[in-house]
Amino acid sequence: MLFSSALIGLREGLEAALVVSILVAFLVKTERRHALRWVWPGVGAAVLLSVAVGAVLTYTTAQLSFEHQELLGGSLSIVAVVFVTAMIFWMRKAAKSIAAELRGKMDDALDVGPAAVLLLSFLAVGREGLETAVFFYSAVQTAQSDTVQPLIGFAVGIAAAVVLAWLLYKGAVRFNLSKFFTITGVLLVFVAAGVLGYGLHDLQEAAFLPGISSLAFDASATLPETSWYGALLKGIFNYSQQTTVLQAVAWIAYVVIVLPLFLKPSKKTAPAPAAAAASKE
Amino acid sequence: MTVRKTTPLAVVASAAALVALSACDSKSDTAGAAAGGGPIKVSASDTACEVSATTAGAGNLTFEITNKGTKVTEFYLYAEGDRIMGEVENIAPGLNRRLIVEVADAGKYQTACKPGMAGAGIRGDFTVTGGVAKQNDADAQKAQATKSYADYIANNTAALQEETGKFADLVKAGKVDEAKAAYARTRVYYERIEPVAEKFGDLDPAIDVREADLEPGQQFTGFHRLEKDLFKTGLQADSGQIADKLVTDVKELVTKSKALELTALDLANGAKGLLDEVATGKITGEEETFSHTDLWDFQANLDGSKGAITSLRPILQAKDPALTSTLDKEFANVQGLLDKQRAGDGFKLYTDLSQDQVKEFASAVDALSEPLSKVAEVVSK
Ligand SMILES: [Cu+2]
Repeated sequence: MLFSSALIGLREGLEAALVVSILVAFLVKTERRHALRWVWPGVGAAVLLSVAVGAVLTYTTAQLSFEHQELLGGSLSIVAVVFVTAMIFWMRKAAKSIAAELRGKMDDALDVGPAAVLLLSFLAVGREGLETAVFFYSAVQTAQSDTVQPLIGFAVGIAAAVVLAWLLYKGAVRFNLSKFFTITGVLLVFVAAGVLGYGLHDLQEAAFLPGISSLAFDASATLPETSWYGALLKGIFNYSQQTTVLQAVAWIAYVVIVLPLFLKPSKKTAPAPAAAAASKE
Repeated sequence: MTVRKTTPLAVVASAAALVALSACDSKSDTAGAAAGGGPIKVSASDTACEVSATTAGAGNLTFEITNKGTKVTEFYLYAEGDRIMGEVENIAPGLNRRLIVEVADAGKYQTACKPGMAGAGIRGDFTVTGGVAKQNDADAQKAQATKSYADYIANNTAALQEETGKFADLVKAGKVDEAKAAYARTRVYYERIEPVAEKFGDLDPAIDVREADLEPGQQFTGFHRLEKDLFKTGLQADSGQIADKLVTDVKELVTKSKALELTALDLANGAKGLLDEVATGKITGEEETFSHTDLWDFQANLDGSKGAITSLRPILQAKDPALTSTLDKEFANVQGLLDKQRAGDGFKLYTDLSQDQVKEFASAVDALSEPLSKVAEVVSK
């Protein structure tokens, strides 16, 4: 009982924490600490909004119709994919501009706008926030009448997600910039692909897109979402034990297109950070 | 600088959009309550999915799912073809979750618990009854209209029964003058609710047949037979029996009308039917050949028509306010003409009307008849 609630908490919290920690690590590493103050309002607004809407949905008879709920979740996911993808390439560009900066040719145009940082934090947290908030309230309600175990489990799971994200941040800041943005960039490509698939699945559930019942695979026996490794996979990559054909095709298409674009050595500047570091010596 | 100023606005805007989205969907659960009470309890375990009710009325259905198993579960409501009507995912062991889902159409549905969130789930049949929930408002208005009109009928049939009893007693006692005075006054209650009486096969002819309309072999009974006895031939040997039969027939009418279930469309058609009665019987003076009290009936028909329209008024007002005001105007016009012909507590005799006055009535009734004929269509929309 405690374990399965903890897994849900871990899963719900992990992805958001992951994206935010990578964002924070990147801002810190590229000496853009001034942009950090735009991260927390985005996170805060997303949390507050989720908590407020979750409370309204839980404690009143107001509700989102199922279709609207999935439509909202699905569209937010797709918007989030756009932003995470933009973040990947922005990191890549910014890393290059760091190299340029170290050569004394700083490019201000590449500096990140507060709007992007704020919206990215908002989307990363807000996307799964509503579901998390509703789960939290039902755990609280159960705790009042019955048992506190689900609530404790949920809290433990969320805490674990934050700790994991913090560890990732700590580890990430230790890497040099080149390694950092390669590793986190690849990670984010898979995160975004998962979010895209998840969003499309929501739209399929709302019957907004067809094909909810044509499955590409069903791994619910071999790699269940309710196992700790399944929860981790779902939390980080939005792994789905029952994946529809549309979901799978979208996931593969995204990875096949975006990953090579990201890894492609861009002219002479791909090894730029290393080269820049060398030239400085 | 300007960018920094606008960024918090962007977040507020997205937040507002989210809230607006949830607000536009928010609904009170009165529909759900009306559809059959509290939440439907679902007790989910690793091997079972017990649903406390397997039928519900259309509208907002609330399911309260308790996971008593050891695996994380999900609950779904499927329409035919496994179309998802609503779902709750991630119900951890020990948790209660609520699903409110709007089911507008009656039909066969399925509930499913999915322990481990895998597979097709443990299915159960679920039936939704009743109409299309979105028409609930209109249906409620129609129900209110027919109830209001049923009250009108009940009041008039009660008065009819009482007055007919008195009238019959006067006839049987041979008090011709008093019976003559009571005649038109008694008929008023009948003429107001004539469309209802016409629903019961041969009751209406037995009570209200005119001599000219008698079919071969049909006995001449009811009001008009007594009218003839009172106003023309003088009381007959069987006048008392006819009076008794009238009382019996009216009593049967009252009993039957209580069980009658009228629709809003019946009201609309009845309102029009009463005015047709005026046009074909009263304006021509054919109805009361012997007593010439046609204007009393005229007034009663008009009252009955207005009674039905009054009951339908909220529906008409909502669907076609222009028609409603036209009706008000034309009803008032006819009433104005009638008021000019009042005499004492009743009306002038038909035979006292001039040709021009009859024509005036005819055109006023035509003018009212036209918008009245549109009511049925508006109501059934
Ligand atoms: Cu879903």
